[in-house]
Order: sequence, then structure tokens, then C-alpha cells
Amino acid sequence: MKLVNAMPASLRAPGAPAAPPFADVVAEHLDAVYGYLVYLTGDRAAAEDLAAETFEKAFRTWRRFDPRRSAPRTWLCRIAHAAAVDWFRAEARRQRREETYVRDAAMLEESVFAEGLSPELERALRRLTPAEREVVALRVLLELDGPSAARVLGISRTACSTRLSRALKRLEEEMTHARD
Amino acid sequence: MPATDPIDSGEFSALVDELRAGAPAAPERLRQRVLELVPAPRRRWSRRRRLVLVVVPAAAALAVGAALVHGFVSSGSRPQAVAAKGHTVGTLGPRATTTTVEKRAVPLKPATATTSDAVPGALLSDRLVHADASLSVRVADRAALTRATTQATRIVTALGGYAASVQYETSHQGYGSASLALRVPVGRVHAAVARLGRLGTVLEQRISTQDLQQQLARQSNRIGTLRRTISAYEQALQNPSLSDSQRVILKVKLANARKALAQMRHARSGTVSSAATANVSLTLTTKQHAAVTPVPRGRFDRMLGSAAGFLGLEGMIVLYALVVLSPVLVLGGLGWALVRERRRRDEKRLLASA
Repeated sequence: MKLVNAMPASLRAPGAPAAPPFADVVAEHLDAVYGYLVYLTGDRAAAEDLAAETFEKAFRTWRRFDPRRSAPRTWLCRIAHAAAVDWFRAEARRQRREETYVRDAAMLEESVFAEGLSPELERALRRLTPAEREVVALRVLLELDGPSAARVLGISRTACSTRLSRALKRLEEEMTHARD
Repeated sequence: MPATDPIDSGEFSALVDELRAGAPAAPERLRQRVLELVPAPRRRWSRRRRLVLVVVPAAAALAVGAALVHGFVSSGSRPQAVAAKGHTVGTLGPRATTTTVEKRAVPLKPATATTSDAVPGALLSDRLVHADASLSVRVADRAALTRATTQATRIVTALGGYAASVQYETSHQGYGSASLALRVPVGRVHAAVARLGRLGTVLEQRISTQDLQQQLARQSNRIGTLRRTISAYEQALQNPSLSDSQRVILKVKLANARKALAQMRHARSGTVSSAATANVSLTLTTKQHAAVTPVPRGRFDRMLGSAAGFLGLEGMIVLYALVVLSPVLVLGGLGWALVRERRRRDEKRLLASA
């Protein structure tokens, strides 16, 4: 991968670590951001659009990214989170306007979260709220540590751990219930 | 990391492993789509940074430029020409009663500080007038102050006047001042002011005259009328056919008329004596006067001084604007915080219920 769009040295503070080239960031974190958005939205098409939007926004503001303040993955997840929240708002407006739930019907028919998941886990994931799926995605899929995930969610570390614990418990219960 | 973290505790290890094994991968079309967003590197400035980098220096340059232009324009005229302006309030016509001639802050040498040209000579000729003059003169030091005080008393005495009061004050820092209330004949007030002005540097002088001619004429007419009235009453009282009551009434009127005549004569005497002497208030001081520039400065210095003053004024305006706008800014900040908090709650509700 050729190095493009690395932050010019003249714009960095003295002693500040250099930000990696943006193309490297795309290569390294695209899967993670996409997976996070799939879990959060429960909609692969929407996740694809939102991932593209996230990286576009990240590229526009790449000069302001400070590696000392957060890792690139955390920074990207925050952008993705804001984009997804806007998407949820738009969806809510659209659903109120149309009073139809086409997306829910689609979710029941095809695998949304991943091809390799068991049907029970897939169904259990669908039953979680977006907030619960989001914390699972951040902590489990993206393997962010507690403080980073809490920063993305805008909540405290304790609240983040609590939310994750509840989400995983509920996931297990849903899977057990589905097997029974 | 808290000890109760569900990932670290291994409580859900099987579930976590399964979720991680089935993590969704980004499709290749998305990867291409995102990489197409990355163009060649170029220097891009955000709108806010552009605004800061352009507008702020432009505003600062404009402020400094305006100050320099103001300083340049202000420094064009000599300070003496500006400071020596005098003006006359009112004119001396047949019905004019008060004339004030004012002269301020004339930084001239003592030898040239004549003031005879400041007062038209016709003001005091052929008419009965009262004059008041005030003069502020700066002298070099305390010794000069003492000499000038003594000299001022001698001047008015030589002109036929006198010093009504003298107040002399000095401080340890070498400053001093003297206030003299002087009386001089009205006809010599010009000469008095001119000679007093030579005691030092004239900082301020004011001469006001009040025309008493009409007042004197009214009083004289009234006196003549009263005399004729008294004469008539006296003749009437000599009539033997008057009844007792009529005689008493006439005597009362005659007494009142005589009393009014005495009062009017006294008032006319006051008018005449008022026109005889002029009040001259002389202030001698060793302090520097703000309006006086002791040492003439070069144009560049004056320009810098004016520019600095103008910049100070601009700073005051900016400060005033900040003080006025600060409540609005605080309210705006509070509103922004409220909107943000509301959006955060909406977001939480949305993600919990979707």
C-alpha cells in the first residue's frame, strides 16, 4: 500500500507522534468499522453506506486527528456512531411517515450479521436493541478496551461494562430459549 | 479495567469466541468505494481555520492602519495652532449685555504672552460696563511662584487696584499654587491682564464684560419719575381743602415714594461702583497642565502618540462590545449545552428502543 495523505510534518505539534497514512487506516480498520455498523444498525446495506460515509467524513477531518488523544479505531467508531445515530433518526422519521417496517421483515429472511453465525445467535442478535448490539460490537468484535468503548458510547466505563454484561446475558438467554 | 468486566472474567468466553469467529467482513465493493475517496494529498484548510487565519489578521491590520492614518492626519497641524484657538461668545451690539472672550492653553513664551489682542478695545469704551477676568498662569517653580505672587500684587496696585485676597499653597514635591482675587479699575483691566499674563505661561484666560448702560438708564429714569411723583404729592398736601383722610393717604404715598427713591439711588450707586472696578481672578501654578505641550515634538512622535491613543480607543470599544455581548454569549453557551444534552438523551432513547 503506498503512503498517501500522511499528515504533513509542518502541521504536527513538535514531539507529537505521526498519524498513519489514511489509506493504511482504511485497510486496517474498514472491516472493524463495517462490522460495528452492521451490529449497530442490523442492516448490511445501511452499514455499507454508513461505513463509506464514515470514512469520507474521517478523510475530511483527518488533519485534525490527534493520535495522542485516541487510537484511529476509536476515532473512527465515534464518527461511525454519529453517522449511525443520524441514520436511526432518519429511519424513525421514515417509519413514522410510512408506518411500515420493511427492514424488520427483511431481517427475518436473511442473515444480517454474518454468514458464519449459528441461526440461534443470529436470531438472538436481532432481538437485542441497537444499544446492546453496539456495545457487543465494540467490545467483542472490535476488541476495544473499556475506556475506548465508553468514549465512543459517551458513557462511563462502569456503565459500559454493565451494558455489555446485560447484553451478553440476554444474548445467552435468547440463544437458550431458541434451542429449547 | 474493573474486575467485573464480562470479557476479562471469561464468563461468556464461548459466546465471545463465536461472535468473533463470525465477525462480518467488509465487501470488496465497499473497500474500493472507500479507497476512491482518498485523492492525492493537498493542503486543505478548514473553513474555520481559514476564517481565523484571514479575518483576524485582516481586522488587526485594519485597526492598526486606521490608527496610523488617524495619527498621521492628526499630526499634520502644529499644536500651537490648535491650542491657541479662542472664541467669542456673543457680540457687543446696542442690546448686548454680556461678552465673554476666552483664550485657552497658549504655550507661548512669557515675553510674548500678551493678551491685549484677545479683548476688543471697544468693549470698554464709552459705556458703563462691569468686567470679570480669570487668568491661569504657569510658572517654573516655587521660587518663581513666590515672585509672581508678589509681582501680581504690585501690578494691580500700580494700576490703581488692590488684592482682595491671596491664597498661597505649596507641597513637598515642589508643586505650588496661588489664587489671587484682584480688583482693578475697569478701564485698566486690559493692561492688568496683559501684565499678569507676562508672569509666566498663560494656560487659560477668560474675560467677560457685562454692559450696565441700560441698567443705569433704567435706574435714572425711575429716579426721575419718583422725584416728580414726590413733588406732586408735596404740592397736593399744600391744598387746604383736603380732608383728613385724604391727607393721611397722601402722606403715606409720599413716604413710600421717598423710600423707593432712596432705594433706587442706592441701587444706581451700586451699579456705578460695580462698573468702576473689575474682578480679576489670577491662578498661579507650578503644575504641568495637561493641555500644554512644553516641548514641541516632531511629527513622527505626534503621529505615534495619536496612533497609540486611537488604538487605545479601539481597545476600549472592543472591550465594551465584549462586556455588552458577554450575556448573549453566556446564554448562547447555555442553549448549546441544553441542545446537546437533549440530543444525547434522544440518541440514548433511540438506540434503546429501535
